[in-house]
Amino acid sequence: MNGSPLGTSVPRKEDRRLVTGRGRFVGDLQLPRMRHVAFVRSPVAHARIVSLDAGPAREAGYRVFTQADLGGIVLRAQSALPSYVETGQPALAEGKVRFAGEPVAAVVAADRYRAEDGAELVDVDYATLPPVTVAWDAGAAAVHDEAPDNVLLERTFDAGDVDGVLAGAHLTVERELVTNRHAGNPMECRAGVALFDPADRRLTFWSGTQVPHLVRNMIAELLGLSEGNVRVVAPDVGGGFGVKAVLYPEDVALCAIALQLPGTPVKWVEDRVEHLAAATHARDHRYLLTAGFAADGTLLALRADVTCNVGAYSVYPWTAGIEPLMAGGLLTGPYKLEHYRATVRGVATNTAPSGPYRGVARPASVFAMETLLDDAAARLGMTGVDIRRRNVIRPEDIPYRMPSRLVDDSGHYDECLTKALDAVGYDELRAEQQRRRGTGESPIGIGFACYNELTGLGRAASAGPRMPFRTGHDACTVRVNPDGRVTVFSGVTSQGQGLETTVAQIVADALGVRYDDVDVRIGDTDASLWGFGAFSSRQAVIGGGAAHRSALAARSKVLRLAAGLLEVDPADLQIEDGVVAVVGSPDTTIGLPEVARVAYLESNRLPDGIEPGLEATEFYDPVRGAFAAGAQVAAVEVDRTTGAVRILRYACVEDAGRAMHPQIVDGQIAGSIAQGIGGALYEHLVYDADGNLSTGTLLDYLMPTSAEIPELTIGHVARPAANPLGVRGVGEGGTLGPNAVLAGAVSDALGVRIDELPLSPSVVWTAARRAAEDAGKTPVEPGGRHSD
Amino acid sequence: MEITMVVDGERVELTVEPRHTLADVLREQCGRTGTHVGCEHGVCGACTVLVDDEPVRSCLMFAVQADGSTVRTVEGLESDDGTLHPLQEAFVAHHGLQCGFCTPGMLMTALHLLDTHPEPDRETIRREMSGNICRCTGYMGIVDAVEEAARLR
Ligand code: FES
Ligand code: FES
Repeated sequence: MNGSPLGTSVPRKEDRRLVTGRGRFVGDLQLPRMRHVAFVRSPVAHARIVSLDAGPAREAGYRVFTQADLGGIVLRAQSALPSYVETGQPALAEGKVRFAGEPVAAVVAADRYRAEDGAELVDVDYATLPPVTVAWDAGAAAVHDEAPDNVLLERTFDAGDVDGVLAGAHLTVERELVTNRHAGNPMECRAGVALFDPADRRLTFWSGTQVPHLVRNMIAELLGLSEGNVRVVAPDVGGGFGVKAVLYPEDVALCAIALQLPGTPVKWVEDRVEHLAAATHARDHRYLLTAGFAADGTLLALRADVTCNVGAYSVYPWTAGIEPLMAGGLLTGPYKLEHYRATVRGVATNTAPSGPYRGVARPASVFAMETLLDDAAARLGMTGVDIRRRNVIRPEDIPYRMPSRLVDDSGHYDECLTKALDAVGYDELRAEQQRRRGTGESPIGIGFACYNELTGLGRAASAGPRMPFRTGHDACTVRVNPDGRVTVFSGVTSQGQGLETTVAQIVADALGVRYDDVDVRIGDTDASLWGFGAFSSRQAVIGGGAAHRSALAARSKVLRLAAGLLEVDPADLQIEDGVVAVVGSPDTTIGLPEVARVAYLESNRLPDGIEPGLEATEFYDPVRGAFAAGAQVAAVEVDRTTGAVRILRYACVEDAGRAMHPQIVDGQIAGSIAQGIGGALYEHLVYDADGNLSTGTLLDYLMPTSAEIPELTIGHVARPAANPLGVRGVGEGGTLGPNAVLAGAVSDALGVRIDELPLSPSVVWTAARRAAEDAGKTPVEPGGRHSD
Repeated sequence: MEITMVVDGERVELTVEPRHTLADVLREQCGRTGTHVGCEHGVCGACTVLVDDEPVRSCLMFAVQADGSTVRTVEGLESDDGTLHPLQEAFVAHHGLQCGFCTPGMLMTALHLLDTHPEPDRETIRREMSGNICRCTGYMGIVDAVEEAARLR
């Protein structure tokens, strides 16, 4: 390849192995003497453990581990926020279980089939306690003794004079909105293999984690091992979406078991039923909202009370604060507002813990905000487009300080919205909508969302609720090998985002070598110096920035060395495709292989003052973050008789800054929209009153397939961000729109309010019937005909 | 129990337990970890292989049921000289995969689709591929890839 590979859709480095079945997933690992683990899980939501009898299982020859056997290890997610109530999460439950699916004991056997046989023999006696599954149920039993009211965290964001302005507003809109619990649910469930070598007290943990360095740090601390003797390897990982950015009790238990079975690799591969029951959930929220508007549609004030169901535990390291704080901090989204008061809280319940899921809270909070705008527009006789245009932050407002004090550096929302409207053919859709109203055909509706995605957060606005670390930086090492080819040891991790490819592009570009001559190693704490991992759409910005800086540092050494060998000034040299040439005299060249050979093998030729070796390691921290603007518009058709929603058109326009690999950028956006559509229309983790998950398999928990996801139109407004590569993160934005867009479209089609998600046929049918009743017409029976 | 299968052109004789699924036997005993398991209850399609040319969810079939059968997995798609199958090429060219976990099942389903629907339109592809779940791509690249592979046949 000639020239820089940056900005072009080069073939992904990962693809060859993945399309030939040679991927390296944790579950694929087979090691000598390997043993398999099955967890005994609580069948009840809330109970005291009266007794646990492992005797029969042990007599049958199984190794069984309880919390006492593991030394009572407890994970503690910490936050410095004043109202935070710290609670612990045991590796295996002891004394009490707090959700159905919680691991209580672990059984080790020769294969998974036998481990599950052994788990059947473990006899646990539970005395059930009253469960709480709904976060806004008052007077529920305490999940943790430390928090008698179950509130693990509460915070109020307060700006301006909300009550005064609401009292004087031309229009106030009040809504209560409830969003549906769902989950990231990557196609590869969680998995781990742990092996302890007693000779030098080294633990290797292969784990499908998004955050290997964070896992190493806490595993070493909990198990009393030297951090350098813990190696965490995340090989190919089959999707993460936040679910795998958590250190789980099963991970800790597996490593602790390995310590007790020295030299024996222990493997746990989660099955889907376990995953749905015990991996993190998200988005189970209630919003109580009052908004004040001027007669021209200007948003004047917003009062909000947000309750997030955080489940049974405060997950490590994100705590119970991750969703509520994000909901409160970004509820106002890309809209200008001065008077804002939001009280947000995270409430513990007897359900699976909630954790980060792509978009963290904002698919719900964007739905809340956009619903208010649509409601106000309808009452004021404005269009949904006009009210958004009236209120969005504009380029001339930048930098805009949001009422939560976050600073928006984007401002291109109107441009995104306009492009998205064009992409769906807005005027034509409105005409069609009008036409159908006269014919009795299935109605169509149009919905909108504008949102800002907070990406690449540096130390000044670090991700997470004041945890004991700041996630603003990553490291990268660029090594030119003796043959002149390049190996990069990057702190990023990949669960499908193609980071091997992107990092190789960045390094090839900055160093001046061919893309094909760069290999990238990621996800191994022994290989890379440091990286926080994949979350908050941070890696292209931060990990990419570190790769860029380390490649520039390596380049500078290459140039100094080459300059010495060619006896010219380094400032007169350039590198392209691995050839160093004197600017202006293209015949004076030296290849990178020769420079590298001198650096490692021919010290006799090293110029004065230059040390052997050709490698550079640099960190990068953007200090601030980069907001990415986005807008989505869709048209749906609603079948009044069944409540079914069909998406006719869907467009998304985002500001990804400079796109380093356009295909990957579009793939991130398409995939995240599809997840958002799943959450808006189908996916719902439902607990019954006893706290049993009634959607515990993929037969009940419906994930969208190629038959449900429509063709998506993806557009861009590319405004380079203020970082070395000009990039903005794109990992999450797509998920932020669909709830709002589809609820808005259904509401527009039927002329009804949508107060709860998902937009299941029953919710939509009920809304349609209500609308028909309100209009004084005879309701339409499901599956039946008009009775008039 | 003793079973014999031909897996990707290789004859294998194995001792399996009656309860072992074909997916587990392919992965654990035949070392063919290219076939993935995403749900173990027949919904996600990640474990799809061809048994006597018919697509099968190998998590739902017991290995003993495949006794005497010819099994094709993703690992047999590439030719011996390393040339990728046109479907594999198309998945790479059209970004039909991100994490690649669903990809083996997608490819085997698509292989059968191309055999049974010589000229599928996008709607047919979307319908026929709807037994395979992908959490990453939003399906755009997958539909593009299958469409192109069909066109190039
Ligand atoms: S693993 Fe067989 S269908 Fe999901
Ligand atoms: S590429 Fe990840 S599940 Fe399809």
